[in-house]
Order: sequence, then C-alpha cells, then structure tokens
Amino acid sequence: MWWRALFAGLFGAILTCGAAAAAFDRAAIASQICGGAAGMTDAANAMLAGLVDATTDDARWAAALSGAAIDRSLKCGPQDPAIVAPEGAVNAATLSPVEGSVGTSPLLSLKNRPLFETVRAAATLRSGAAVNDRGAALTALERRAGSLRPEFFEKAAEAETDAGLRSRILAVGQAALLNSPDMSKRIAAIERIAATPDRRSLTRIEALKSDPAYQTDPGFRMAVDGGVASIGRWLSVSNALNVFYNGLSIASILFMASAGLAIIFGLMGVINLAQGEFIMIGAYVAYAVQEALRAVAPGLIDWYLIAAIPVVFLATAGIGVALEATIVRRLYTRPLMTLLATWAVSLLLVNLMRVTVGTQNLQFVTPWYISGGRLLMGDFIVTWNRLFAIVFAGLTLGLTWFVLKRTPLGLNIRAVTQNRAMAGCVGVATRRVDMMAFGLGSGLAGLAGLALCPIYNVNPQMGSNFIVDSFMVVVLGGVGTLAGTAFAALGVGQINVLIEPLYGAVAAKVIVLLMIIAFLQWRPEGLYAVKGRRK
Amino acid sequence: MSKFDRRTFLRTTGAAAAGALLPLSAPPLIRSARAAGTVKLGCLFSSSGTMANLEGRMNFVAKMAAEEINAAGGVNGSTIEVVTSDPASDWPLYAQIGRQMLSETKVAALFGCWTSVSRKSVLPVVEQNNGLLFYPLHFEGDENSKNVVYVNSPPASSVLPAVDYLMSPDGVEAKRFFMVGSDYVWPRTINKQLKGYWKTKGIEESAWKEEYVPFSFSNFQTIVNQIRAFADAPGGKLVVVLTVVGSSIPDFMREFANQGISSSDVPVLGLDMVEADLEGLDTQKLVGHLNCWAYLQQAKGEANQKFLKSWSDYVGRTKAPFRPDVAIDPMVSTYDAVHLWALAAKKAGSFDVPEVQKAFAGLSFDCPSGYKIGMTAENNYVSRGVFIGSVNDSQGFDVLWQSEDTPKPVPMSPYG
Repeated sequence: MWWRALFAGLFGAILTCGAAAAAFDRAAIASQICGGAAGMTDAANAMLAGLVDATTDDARWAAALSGAAIDRSLKCGPQDPAIVAPEGAVNAATLSPVEGSVGTSPLLSLKNRPLFETVRAAATLRSGAAVNDRGAALTALERRAGSLRPEFFEKAAEAETDAGLRSRILAVGQAALLNSPDMSKRIAAIERIAATPDRRSLTRIEALKSDPAYQTDPGFRMAVDGGVASIGRWLSVSNALNVFYNGLSIASILFMASAGLAIIFGLMGVINLAQGEFIMIGAYVAYAVQEALRAVAPGLIDWYLIAAIPVVFLATAGIGVALEATIVRRLYTRPLMTLLATWAVSLLLVNLMRVTVGTQNLQFVTPWYISGGRLLMGDFIVTWNRLFAIVFAGLTLGLTWFVLKRTPLGLNIRAVTQNRAMAGCVGVATRRVDMMAFGLGSGLAGLAGLALCPIYNVNPQMGSNFIVDSFMVVVLGGVGTLAGTAFAALGVGQINVLIEPLYGAVAAKVIVLLMIIAFLQWRPEGLYAVKGRRK
Repeated sequence: MSKFDRRTFLRTTGAAAAGALLPLSAPPLIRSARAAGTVKLGCLFSSSGTMANLEGRMNFVAKMAAEEINAAGGVNGSTIEVVTSDPASDWPLYAQIGRQMLSETKVAALFGCWTSVSRKSVLPVVEQNNGLLFYPLHFEGDENSKNVVYVNSPPASSVLPAVDYLMSPDGVEAKRFFMVGSDYVWPRTINKQLKGYWKTKGIEESAWKEEYVPFSFSNFQTIVNQIRAFADAPGGKLVVVLTVVGSSIPDFMREFANQGISSSDVPVLGLDMVEADLEGLDTQKLVGHLNCWAYLQQAKGEANQKFLKSWSDYVGRTKAPFRPDVAIDPMVSTYDAVHLWALAAKKAGSFDVPEVQKAFAGLSFDCPSGYKIGMTAENNYVSRGVFIGSVNDSQGFDVLWQSEDTPKPVPMSPYG
C-alpha cells in the first residue's frame, strides 16, 4: 500500500531529523518562531522532534516558549525575541532577563495552535514540577498521541517518578504503536484504543480494515473486529444516555419556567402573561447579588448562584404580591381583563429594564462548578451548567410539592382553589391565601431565572421566550397539578430531543406542537386531571 | 393597505396597556423634532426584541456621523437631522415604518435593517416610493436594486475568501463542513452558495451537513452532539460554518465550549459573530474561533483610532446604553453609509434621490477599516476589504488575515 510506504518514509525522516537535533538549537528556534506562520510551524516541529531526547532543562525551555506563543506573551521586535511576564521580560532563547522589549505578539494561526498545544503538553510532561501538571499534560496529549513518536512515551515513562502516572504514560504510548512493525504491539494498541470507546477510536480502528494485515493475520483481524464491536456497543449506550440527558435538560428548563405558572394559572386560574418577566427579573436580581458580592466579598463571588437563591425568591415573590394586591385582585372575575392587564405589566417590566439597565446581555461570572463538562463514557458528556439546572429543577419540584401538600399554607391554597366559597365559610382568609399563592408562583418564576442564567443570555427580552412554552406545558400537564407539569415537561423535552436529529430543530418544534394539539383533542383535561368538582 | 395612522395605532395599543403605563409600554414609533433648514435621515434599527442589543447601537452611530458632518458645515447648506424609530425586531413593521418615514416624515434616505428578512420586507417600499436604503450588513447577495445601497459585502467578497482561507494550507486544510443556521433567507442562501462553491472544488456531498434552527433557539446540545460525532468520522478536518443570528450565537458557543470542543479540534467560522455576541461569555475556551467581516476593531490605521475615539466620546457624552470600547462592523458600515450619502448629496448638489443616485459613481471614502472604500457606476455595491478575525481571551477578535485590497463586489453569485 502506497500510504504505508509513505508513512515509513516519513517515519524515517523524522527519526533522522530527531537524531540530528539531539539538543535544541534554541537561538535558531527562537528566531524561527518570529518568522511568520510558516516559521512558527517549523519551530513547533523542531521542538516536537527534539523533545524525545531533550534534557529536562531543554523541555522546560520548550514549555516556556510554546506557552508564551499560546498566551501571546511572546514579543517579536527588532531585538531578539523575548517573553514578557509580569516579573519582567526574558530572552526567548536563553530565558535570561532583558531590558525593555518591544514588538508585536505573533498570532497563532489555526494550523499552528494545535501544534503548539501539543508541544506545550509534551514539554510539560517531561519537565512539569508537580505531578498534577504532568498528569494534565498527559490528558491533553492523549487525543494527539499519534502526532508524537512512540519513543517519546518510553523516554517519558523512564524519567517519570510517580508510579501511577508512569503506567498511564505507558498506556498512552501503547496507543501510539498502532502502526508498529511488531504485530503484538499493534494488537495491544488496538485493545488500548478500544478501551476509550468513542467515535474517534471507532474511526481509527475501522480504518485498519483496509490494512493488508487484516486479510493475512487472523489474530489482527480478530482484534480489529472485536474492537469495532465493543466500541459500537458502548457507543450505542452512550448515544442513548446523551439523548436522555439532553431531554432531561430541556425538561428541567421547561419545568422551571412553568412551575410558577402551574400555581398561578393551574391552581388559581389567573392568566398571567407577565410570568416570563418574573423569570427575567429573577435573573436580574441574581446579577445584582453577584455585583453586591463582587463589591463586598470578592472571594465568595463564585457562590453568588447559591447566595442569590433566597434573595431572588423573596424579591420576585414581593413583586408578585404587589402585583396581586394592586392589579390582579381586582380582576379575578374577569379573565380577559387580567390577560390584558398582565400583558401591560409585562411590557412595562421589559421596558423598565431596557431603560434602566440597557439591552445588552448581562455579564455573569461563570463559577468553576458550572463551567465545562465531563466525558463520562464513550461520547456521553455531562455539562455542568445543564446538570445544575436539572438538580435545581428537581429540588424546586420537591420543595414546592412539600409546601403544597405538607404545610398549612399549601392546605389553604388547595382549599381555596378547589372551592373558594366553602373555604371562606370555614374561616380561611381567602384574600390572603390568594396573595400568598401568587407570591409563591412569582417566586418560583424568579428561581427559574436564577437557574437559567448559566445557560441562557440574560437580557430584558429573555422572558418572552418562555411564556408560550410554559403555558403549553401547564395545559398539557393538566391544569392544577404540579406532577402533571413535571411529567409534561419531561415528555415534551424527550420527544423534542428524539425528533430533532431526524427532522431538524424547526420541524421538531412544529411536530411537538401538533402532537400536543392532537393529544388535547383526545384528552382536553391534560395528562393529569384533578378528581372531584372544580368551581 | 391604507396609509398607516399613528394616532389610531397609539390609541389601540394604549387601550391594551393600561393608560398610565403608556409612555413606556408603547414608545412612539418615530421620534422626531421639527426644525428649519434641515435634511432628515431615517433609521430603521430595532431597540427592542431579539435584535435590540445589536441594532440599537446603530441609531447612535448614525447620529454621531451626522454630528460630524454638521460640525463640518452640513450638506448643501442644510444640517442633518437623524430620525430614529423602533421596528421592535418585527420584520413587517420595518416596511410599515419605512413607508411612513418616506412619505410622511420625508426623509432623504433610510439607513437600516440587520437581518435579510427585514431588508426584503423594506425593499418593495423603497422601490415603490423611489427612496434610498443604505444596508450596513454583509449578506447573501443575489439582489441588485437601484434603491438599495449595499454598504457591506456580498458572499463573494466576504464568506468565500474566509472559506478559501480555511481550505488552504495556511488555514486548516478543511475537508468537511457542518453548517448550522437560523431558518431564514440569509443562512439558507449562503449555504446554498457555499455548497455550489464546494462542488466546483470537487468536494463530495457527503462531506457536509446542514442544520437549521428557529429564531432565538437555545438548546444546542443535540446539534453539538451531532457535530462531535461528525468531527470524529473519517474524511479530514471539519469546520463549522455558523449562520445562526442574535441570541443563538452566544448560546451555541457556550454549549460548544462546555462540551469540551476547542478551536484546535473543530474551528467555528461565525459569519454573524461580533464582539457584542461574546459579552457575558468566558472566551478563554473559545480562543481561536473565527469570524469574517469588512471591519474589525483591531484594524490598523489612523482612521480607526479616530473612529474609536469619537464613539467612546459620543457614548460618554450622550450616555448611550452601549459599551464605549466596542465597535463592530455594522456600526462602521452605518458610519460609512451616512458619510457616503453626504458625499453623494454634496456632489449632486441636491437631496433628490435620482440626483444622489447618479452621484454614487466614483465616490470613495476612507473607511475606519483602513481601506479606501468606493462605488462604481455598475451597481450600488460598495467595495470593502476582507478581515478574518480570531477570538481572543478578552472577548474581542484579533486580525488573523486581511485582504491586500478591496475585491470588486459580485452581486449575483455564480454558485447558487
């Protein structure tokens, strides 16, 4: 096969090149790095080739130089290239201090960025002071193991002092031996690659089916087929998990947005079009808490999402109570007027925010606990911000259920909504209960805003995105039941995620709406109907 | 439809909103003060709805440019008065307000629209009334009206050079493409042209995928999962061509970073991505993703420094609710547009649309981007430079590549 020959040739070329450049020609590389995009590529390749035989000191220098290129502290000017750090500038070739360096920082092109990232990781693996640094570098190298020579990993493992990390290095090194002339090493590499069952591994192993050894060597063929089958199994599991997780994440958002409405519309029967704006206000209050923490206790700013929970709930509940007392209370018997009045309130709140705060997206700090994600298995990634929303929605569901079913206030709310006159007769202060229920519903909407701020953009218009969806979920779930709302959210979320990859996001939205219409034709009272008489 | 009556509109809206809330809930559609010896220019930029954060700032840029011209003595002895409006990101309302501005407010030219769907809705209005619309966004091309001045670039001089760069050895030698767009005319046309272009380059149809999402869509998990799966399939380097608009851009980028994909794995070319979309995002993990425009804030040159300084002074002076230290391409294009109109009116010695149209040929202006932009007698397109920007860790874009010169705009794409 021609590509095998080509590969062997390249391999040989790299080998000879590596032998020639046993130690780095630091000055040459430092001047190359300032020679435009092509020079940077050459410099990175020279460092990669040299790293196999580099001393710890050389590797430390390569880590410093590649790091400087990535974070743009490298300066190329009329003088020698320099690295500018807060402590002072140093010469890029010798790392000895220099006085006043001027020049521009070269921008890494798309092609050079991964090269330099590989150099930095490889050099850090050889020279990092802390085990953690070396471990992180190895993790970064894992996906690019193929771009390094297998000997690199052998040398790195020899020099490694930490036993755990040494065996990890050897394992990663094994995967790099996929094209080794030694058949047992190749099979070990296949098994090693199949141990991380993602699509990338599948592609790599499937490509081996066109390898001549696949036809001639039964052991090799068995390893390839076994690898493909095992990865395929894991991939289908991880795909199912992905779908489930994505559906759960949409469901949590839908549920958070409609939990407040489930009480205000579901239990009290008030069509509150300002519900979305309560979500928006919740997010703005969370922002205010963040800014307050920034001013008062900057060390705790990462915890603003937690600190804001009571503040957001009380603030939005307070606004809800005020709205109920001033406007909604007078219109209980006139649903159309309530609808118009709450719409006006929603316009008022949106414009108030526009005028006072502005239309731009608010800048939220992204705390470490909701940033990024974790690859759990195969291609299944759990993203922390979505997990935060899911957990938050679960807790809200639990607490709201507890308040409605297990507290005197909840008992009163249920009594008043089931039969207002009778509840009044037995001494329940119906007006006060209305106010409290409205406050509870608004507070829940506020909490939704808090939970959404790590996922959505927070701006004055954000509420309007949720209002239609939340009415849809509440009606589908069955007016007047919290459990119905939760199940409806789950159902809509999962169905959405199942349809989306097949027909696209636009069609998914349409199909879900059609399904809801059909369902409500068949069962107008929704998923869960409240038993007994209603009003 | 009969003529739109502002008074009835206010009355009906006012009835819906409680009377006391009127000034805030129903802002007057057009704000204008009458004065003698002035010439009026109309702005069609939303300050509410999904486009508010992006379009809103252009009203202020237009006013700033008008102030500059007025300070230098005005045009043909008149001072410019900029009339703003709020079409509320509601596409048909752009046409309605545009009609009203042309026939009642008697503006000499309109400046406005961000999305192509809003431009398409205003197009018949300016053609019927023989008005002038200066459109400051790069767009899908395939349109050539004598009543619209296309201040920004069609795909042939913006998107295609950027895609070429990505496919070249200097870029990443991209072999496969994942197109994600909002579901409307601009992304669909751009993607159609891109597919036609790739076909001429001998790229197989299996090398690309196309997904569309509704406006203000935000649940990008499934699509990002699909991108990850497609990236890991064999066939060469994958690039995402992102044509979603508005709030979907930061939502997409956030999900992309959270799922652990960096620009060295799969670069994203965000065709509508500007600095304002990165506000509120942690750009550490987004470093290296790309956009392409006819202006980037990091553009070198005196004209840019002057523009940035006047904008920050203007924001400081008028307390406009936008960041004084962020300038995006459509702002500069709006600024260019007002100046181009003034130059044409001065050359024509008149504010009449046919006279001004005749004066377009041969105009040139020193754009803050550092290029000398110009117009020819051939069409109403303005030739602009091309920049490819790369996201940096401080919510801005560095200039990764820029064109030698201003390529000649090609209105009709041969690839569609």
